[in-house]
Amino acid sequence: MKLNIAHLYPDLLNLYGDRGNIQCFRKRLEWRGIECEVTQYLQGEEIDFSNIDIVLLGGGSDREQEIVCEELKKIKKGFQEYVADDGVVLAVCGGYQLLGKYYKTNTKKIEGLEILDIYTEWEPERLLRNIILESDLFATPVVGYENHGGRTYIGAHQPFGKVFYGLGNTGKGDYEGVVYKNVIATYLHGPLLPKNPHVCDYLLQKALCRKYGEDVTLAPLDDELEQKANHYIVARYSNKGNVLQETIKRHI
Amino acid sequence: MGFRRNLVIRFSKWASNMSQKIRGGQGVTLPGYIARTLDHHILTSLSNDVRKKTFVVMGTNGKTTVNSILYHALAAEGEKVVINKTGSNMLNGVISAFVLATDKKGRLDADYACIEVDELAAMRVLPMLQPDYLVLTNIYRDQLDRFGEVDITFQKVKEAIEKAPKLTLLINGDDVLSYTLAQESKHDFMTYEINEQIFDDKSRSEIRESIFCRKCGHKLEYKFFHYGQLGDYTCPHCGLTRPAADFAAENIKLLGDGSSFDVQGRHFETASPAPYNIYNTLSAFSALRMAGIEAPHFEEMIANYDYANSRESQFEIAGTHLQIHLAKNPVGFQQKVSLVLRDEKPKDIIIMINDEYQDGEDVSWLWDVDFQYLENEHTSSIITAGKRGYDMQLRLKYEDIQSEVTLDMKNTIRDCIDHRTNNLYIIVNYTGLYSTNDLLKELADEYAGKEA
Repeated sequence: MKLNIAHLYPDLLNLYGDRGNIQCFRKRLEWRGIECEVTQYLQGEEIDFSNIDIVLLGGGSDREQEIVCEELKKIKKGFQEYVADDGVVLAVCGGYQLLGKYYKTNTKKIEGLEILDIYTEWEPERLLRNIILESDLFATPVVGYENHGGRTYIGAHQPFGKVFYGLGNTGKGDYEGVVYKNVIATYLHGPLLPKNPHVCDYLLQKALCRKYGEDVTLAPLDDELEQKANHYIVARYSNKGNVLQETIKRHI
Repeated sequence: MGFRRNLVIRFSKWASNMSQKIRGGQGVTLPGYIARTLDHHILTSLSNDVRKKTFVVMGTNGKTTVNSILYHALAAEGEKVVINKTGSNMLNGVISAFVLATDKKGRLDADYACIEVDELAAMRVLPMLQPDYLVLTNIYRDQLDRFGEVDITFQKVKEAIEKAPKLTLLINGDDVLSYTLAQESKHDFMTYEINEQIFDDKSRSEIRESIFCRKCGHKLEYKFFHYGQLGDYTCPHCGLTRPAADFAAENIKLLGDGSSFDVQGRHFETASPAPYNIYNTLSAFSALRMAGIEAPHFEEMIANYDYANSRESQFEIAGTHLQIHLAKNPVGFQQKVSLVLRDEKPKDIIIMINDEYQDGEDVSWLWDVDFQYLENEHTSSIITAGKRGYDMQLRLKYEDIQSEVTLDMKNTIRDCIDHRTNNLYIIVNYTGLYSTNDLLKELADEYAGKEA
């Protein structure tokens, strides 16, 4: 078996250790004896979605997102069809925003791919902190770090998770991200996948099943360390004293 | 100088003294806070008393070293210099440096001031300080949870510079971000550059910042890269091109225990084998020359300059060599990885990652460092530590690098001294620096006691 992973515009969208997500996909396939080929698509390159099993769309600065926006116009149709055909996508931060209708920054309106019926608006206060989600998709919490100026309004979409600690889509601390077909779109850095191997395996499984049929199952891996790193964050914010302490620190 | 200022200074110094006695801190920010609260113009008033010139050093990496070299160079010429030595580079720290430099009568006796300023603090510091010269070392991705994005850092530095109209800039011409910033500002500027390829692959992560032209959004072309986004760049669309250097380091030789190079016909020999210290030394010397200072003693000063000053200490404990390295962002960490690997003796490496506010609460950046080089025949063991020790171990796991994790630094270091290679590197981020330094001092005393 083999999966083809497309890393879109890594030269523009490479903030916050996004390549850790690629590395996580790659290693967790390799450790199971499954082949993996990662292709980086740079500005101006043609993308043939028929050959792709997973797409990673990462985060960039607002300035870089404007540049990417022009590129996306060229691949919009192919990308929309890929998602409609159950293609697997992980979109993080800027990538999440670009899947929607638009992102209105303080100076410009950046048009998105219109794959999700969502929109984002910039506000001056940046939403920054560790974040923990409880997702219907997983028994284990999802942990990460959020760092965004945009507030994303997801309408009727299913969120990726309910916020256990943190601020989430609009800063209100209710919901975070979007799950739509085989797309996970989220603000979570960290990077997302290494500390949440359950999310990584979920996406890998979806991609393998789409390519090789419904009965593909992933062999278990020793995830003791991944769980320890995940649990460290969960334990830290399950302790009310710690949460209070951090809140006080943030305000002085 | 007024009676009121005198009173404010004396009270601030007294309070700093008391605070040190009571809390045992270093007392390097409190006097600034008090003095500023009592007198809003205190910094402007004190900096006006500097007889000759005021230098400010800013930039993501290297500012403490550059500022320290500047200070030592001026001191070697017999000048009296104010410096904020302890890396206290926010507004209160800068004011404290001036307050604490005054004499008993509250007077400042200084020819020059060398002040390191945090990029985000610059907005407040520069208008009050009104410096003559600014050395901008580089602008890299750093502590994204604090700075947001590198573009935000860029904007803040630019706005701060605009508030200091008499400033002349010295920038690293190899850094396209710094160069664009200098061009966009209305200030006069000069450049320093390195034209030779002295950085190896291990010091050069694939991740680069700002490889897109800020003017027109097109991708820059590079004749060569140093590291980070530093190199010889040109924009094929709008023609933005790395400028010719006003000051260039030439004939660079990197040796096992030092380096030598030439600038404008002067020959320098240093005790640091780290290539990035060529930049640091070059920029300090260029700043002096830009200010019209001949600095005839620079050669002698730099030959004896200890690059591993208070920030990065070395210890010898019971036959074990221990070296602390500070690494706070991807570009800096990559440089430290390369530096550690230059030592081909067997070694153990501890990597300690904390996530306090000063460190950056977000540790995602660890994934932007290429760690795969760390595992080679000379690396005997790698141990991760700190609040995010598991995160660090996980980072290594995804390069298939074996490591241990420790929750007890003291005993782990004891174990390294007693049972391992006798050559220990400890790479830490910011808050780990002070705790590790203290820990090693304690252990040095403990082992000295055992031998006695």
